[in-house]
Amino acid sequence: MDLRELIDVRNGRQKKRIFWDEELYRLELERVFARSWIFLAHESAIPKPGDFFTTYMGEDAVIVARTQGGEIKAFVNSCTHRGNQVCNAESGNTRSFTCSYHGWSFGLDGRLQGVPLEREAYHNQLDKSQLGMRPVAQVDSFAGFIFGCFDPEAPPLREYLGEMAWYMETFTERGGAELLGPPLKSILHCNWKIAAENFAGDSYHVGWTHAAALKVAGGELAAMIGNTALPEDIGVQIALPHGHGFTVFWNSATSLHRGDAYANFIRDRAPEVAARLGEMRSKFYRAHWSANIFPNCSFLYGTNIWKVWHPRGPHECEVWSWTLVEKDMPHTLKRNIQKEALRTFGIAGTFESDDAQNLAGCTETARGVIGDRGSIQGVMGIDREGPNRDLPGTINASPVSETSMRGFYKFYSELIQAPGWSELNGRAPSVANGARRE
Amino acid sequence: MSDPVSLELYHAIEQFYFREARLFGEKRYREWLDSMVDSSIHYWLPIFEDRYKGDRKEPPPFPPAIYDDNYADLDERIRRLETDLVWMEDPPSRIRHLISNIEAYHGESNGEFIVYSNFLVCRNRREREQTIMVGSREDRLRPDNSTFKLTRREIKLPQRVILDTNLYYFM
Repeated sequence: MDLRELIDVRNGRQKKRIFWDEELYRLELERVFARSWIFLAHESAIPKPGDFFTTYMGEDAVIVARTQGGEIKAFVNSCTHRGNQVCNAESGNTRSFTCSYHGWSFGLDGRLQGVPLEREAYHNQLDKSQLGMRPVAQVDSFAGFIFGCFDPEAPPLREYLGEMAWYMETFTERGGAELLGPPLKSILHCNWKIAAENFAGDSYHVGWTHAAALKVAGGELAAMIGNTALPEDIGVQIALPHGHGFTVFWNSATSLHRGDAYANFIRDRAPEVAARLGEMRSKFYRAHWSANIFPNCSFLYGTNIWKVWHPRGPHECEVWSWTLVEKDMPHTLKRNIQKEALRTFGIAGTFESDDAQNLAGCTETARGVIGDRGSIQGVMGIDREGPNRDLPGTINASPVSETSMRGFYKFYSELIQAPGWSELNGRAPSVANGARRE
Repeated sequence: MSDPVSLELYHAIEQFYFREARLFGEKRYREWLDSMVDSSIHYWLPIFEDRYKGDRKEPPPFPPAIYDDNYADLDERIRRLETDLVWMEDPPSRIRHLISNIEAYHGESNGEFIVYSNFLVCRNRREREQTIMVGSREDRLRPDNSTFKLTRREIKLPQRVILDTNLYYFM
């Protein structure tokens, strides 16, 4: 398989086999998931010493824990003796992690603390200092969102996020943001990339796939049904270095929420966002976003669902969903937002329920030999994207375009071909970035 | 412990559940809502967290749910299906509910019944998709003329990772 052929960046085309091929998937586990910053948890899920949360980076199970000293550590959930998974609970509070096989016990930082029969059977010859659960090479947070990276050569988190962090400050900087858990968990019969690209920039599907939910919602949303009209200046689509991308619709943050409480909250806080971050980001504060943080962390700001697509082989992923809120929202508003977010984009979501068939269908059609040779295209708006004097990143003036999708695959293509981050870092930024920032 | 209902009442409640299952299987959701669901309904499917038995962490302050619906919420879900724009349901999926382990007791307040039941739902879609979901329900029913209305349903599913792509059906 020639990796150079998989993504035709210039022409906005991809090979269908990127959603099917097993060999490519194994390569992705190495070159995408073991090199990128992967979302782990929000700090609010593990506030106290001893709190822990288990999750995945690619297909590696990891434990994220807060030590007695208050630090956040992450390490691979595998005993260094014979490899058994050590922590079998999804979350909780503990003093240590004990393996159910031979009783080895590990601290909140993953260090090996106790070995039964250490004197009698190991004759005190075991070097425990070398036998801690394998640490995740880099662990860091942005606005309380904890990410981990297995690659010590990857740029620091803030640099990896780049301007995505600048944009996200829109809703994290004023009062702080947090996630309400535990996450909903379910599956999709699709390649993880189809879900990620959908959230990064597929506004085109909303009026068609989600027609039923739009009809019930009524009003402005119902006007989108059937993709019969596309007004101008209703939003933008943004592609950023390192494959991140998102789409915004202006003045639509709470459009999927019933009731006025959230809309009023945003209206009342927007001036403060403007004062702290400038008028442009205040505009983003009032917009609805669909976003993907490369590789597999997506969210809708406004609807306030936050997701990770854990890859489970090339044809399946496991979806974890939290609710995103601002920390200083009243309790009742957080509760209300959680209900609306899960009602629309949870496992029985009035919108989310429409997507599974399409995502699975895009995966399955590469099963046959002819399908596997085929290509798909993402050319919408390909000649209408570029730098913007007001906004960092590569911007498309229409939110209905495929700029974010192309940005995702451009970085994906570079990442899977590069021997390492140093080869990536030596290159020019993958998308133009000539904007003036406030 | 509450008093079990009489044999006659038990039969009536059991028939109510079987009729409900048939309405679900035939996708007659509007009829279900109109004839079997009280306006005060809380239809609730909470998420559980898979913690160790002895775990000391406090419970989540905002426990999430897959369904947390009142009457208006259920009505909206059914209206979505009635738009006929749900592409995933065209061709329609096929669904069948097996209901068992019914226990019916008199409730605390006048005329209320507490009913436990288990279900097995089998959903088939397209060519070979099949998902089977097993769970339990704890319901409150109130008498309504010669039949009953559901005022509360708490559904429990044992799957922490729901092994289906959506749970957009009623149990």
